[in-house]
Amino acid sequence: MAMIAISIAVVAAVVISAMALVVFAPKMQYLRMATTTSTQDSGLLDYILPVFENETNSKVEVIAVGSGQALEMGKRGDVDILMVHSPASEAQFVKDGYGTNRTQFMYNWFVIVGPDSDPAGTRYAKNSSDAFKRILDNGTTGNVTFVSRADNSGTHSKELTIWSALGYNKTQVAAFDSSWYKQAGQGMGSVLDMCEDMGAYTLSDDATYYSRVEAGIIPSLNITKAGDSALKNQYSIILVNSTIWTHINATLAEDFLAWITSHDGQDLIKSYERYGQQLFTPNAPAYISALSIAGCRGAVEAAVSASTRSEETILRLSNIRG
Amino acid sequence: MVLGIEYDVVQVTLLSLYVAGAATILGCLIGIPLGSLIGLKEFGGKGTLKTITYTMYGFPPVVSGLFIYYLFSRSGPFGSLGVLFTPTAMILAETLLVIPLAAGITITEVSEVDRSIKDTIRALGASRRISNLTVMREAWVGLIMAAMIGFGRCIAEVGAAYMVGGNIQGETRTLTTAIMLETRMGKFDYAIGLGLVLIAVALAVFFFMRLLQEKEHL
Repeated sequence: MAMIAISIAVVAAVVISAMALVVFAPKMQYLRMATTTSTQDSGLLDYILPVFENETNSKVEVIAVGSGQALEMGKRGDVDILMVHSPASEAQFVKDGYGTNRTQFMYNWFVIVGPDSDPAGTRYAKNSSDAFKRILDNGTTGNVTFVSRADNSGTHSKELTIWSALGYNKTQVAAFDSSWYKQAGQGMGSVLDMCEDMGAYTLSDDATYYSRVEAGIIPSLNITKAGDSALKNQYSIILVNSTIWTHINATLAEDFLAWITSHDGQDLIKSYERYGQQLFTPNAPAYISALSIAGCRGAVEAAVSASTRSEETILRLSNIRG
Repeated sequence: MVLGIEYDVVQVTLLSLYVAGAATILGCLIGIPLGSLIGLKEFGGKGTLKTITYTMYGFPPVVSGLFIYYLFSRSGPFGSLGVLFTPTAMILAETLLVIPLAAGITITEVSEVDRSIKDTIRALGASRRISNLTVMREAWVGLIMAAMIGFGRCIAEVGAAYMVGGNIQGETRTLTTAIMLETRMGKFDYAIGLGLVLIAVALAVFFFMRLLQEKEHL
């Protein structure tokens, strides 16, 4: 019996002290941010956030989920700020009065990824919707497979935009034959792993694609189509409406927006590299205009390099592999 | 293998233990009395209640998480408490998973002990209270078993922990949500490393609980 009493006392002591740690932990300023998995999984946030945290003696609490879930968290007042990439839903969110100050601040690229042999011939497609057309045609005849995120994420909504250019709405896409159109309902990384396994195509953001290439787990997947302006992946910051939700840390949220769109914040984003290349291109309005006012060829150069970058990437990748 | 991880694995491990431990204790504190009540008393609808309890073994953790999310979201009834995305929310969601397990196993245990010895003790002249206490004492091994299974479910759980905890680095990141993050980032080796840490920790806890189970039984 003594043994039991001691055991229970030990367990109770551990639980109580752990609770005390949680309750009495020193309070600093907290900013709660819901974001999409790609900004966290690419390592960008781990790279840029410590700088902001040091400057403002704050801690940014990152909750990385799909864009759909992130917006829902904002709507319910559970976070202070959103960093998302789902333009149509973002616009609706702001229009409905749930958020303010929606500001573009960076972009990267979506790429169409598929097996080395590219049986659908997407390499020769004029643009992204032509590439999708080729996948659709070859899919219905049983030659190729496409894996869709099918999870209301920003990537999924971009995929639906491309299908809609071919005349298929959301419902029609969801009704595509599952023999070739696999609706995974999973994150980008898992979908890429599935494609590797099935020799399938998918639409991916390039950051997630590169980090998986770097990890060596998708050796047979290649970028087969990229560089189309329709494949631009724009990220925005939205402040959750602090007149609806008074508990929100609006001041720190505004500070964060000001910082990430500042010259320093934008340069920091620009300097983040993985796999030997820059993953995100800063494009906050103030930053872009400052560049052009300075007359430093910046804006033009950025635009030109952005459109050629994906082509270079394909070359670089094939050099590394081949 | 886990040395390349940027966040504090020790802190993550301690949080996992704290959340799973607290949820197990809370769940047992509610579930075991509930189970013994159902198991020892005779009443109409007992069979149905037992079936419901056993069915709840399969309660999906994500649904438990969603339930707690709705309750503690700023738009929900208890939103102003600010509990969402803290370890407390995770404990609550996992407590909901432990309660039916603890209750169900207790029902089974006390019913079995009941049948074999209750009549004997009563025949020997013990009061109802004494006989019930004796039954509970005999069921001790089973009750520890309930705690072990509850703890096992909590420490391995990821859906509810991610949903209401948010996997915030340094605050609500547990071993399982960290494993999910590493997997998503394509760092499979780290994910497996963290999985091994989880199993090692569980081994230590279960070893301790087994001791508890045997000491009393001797």
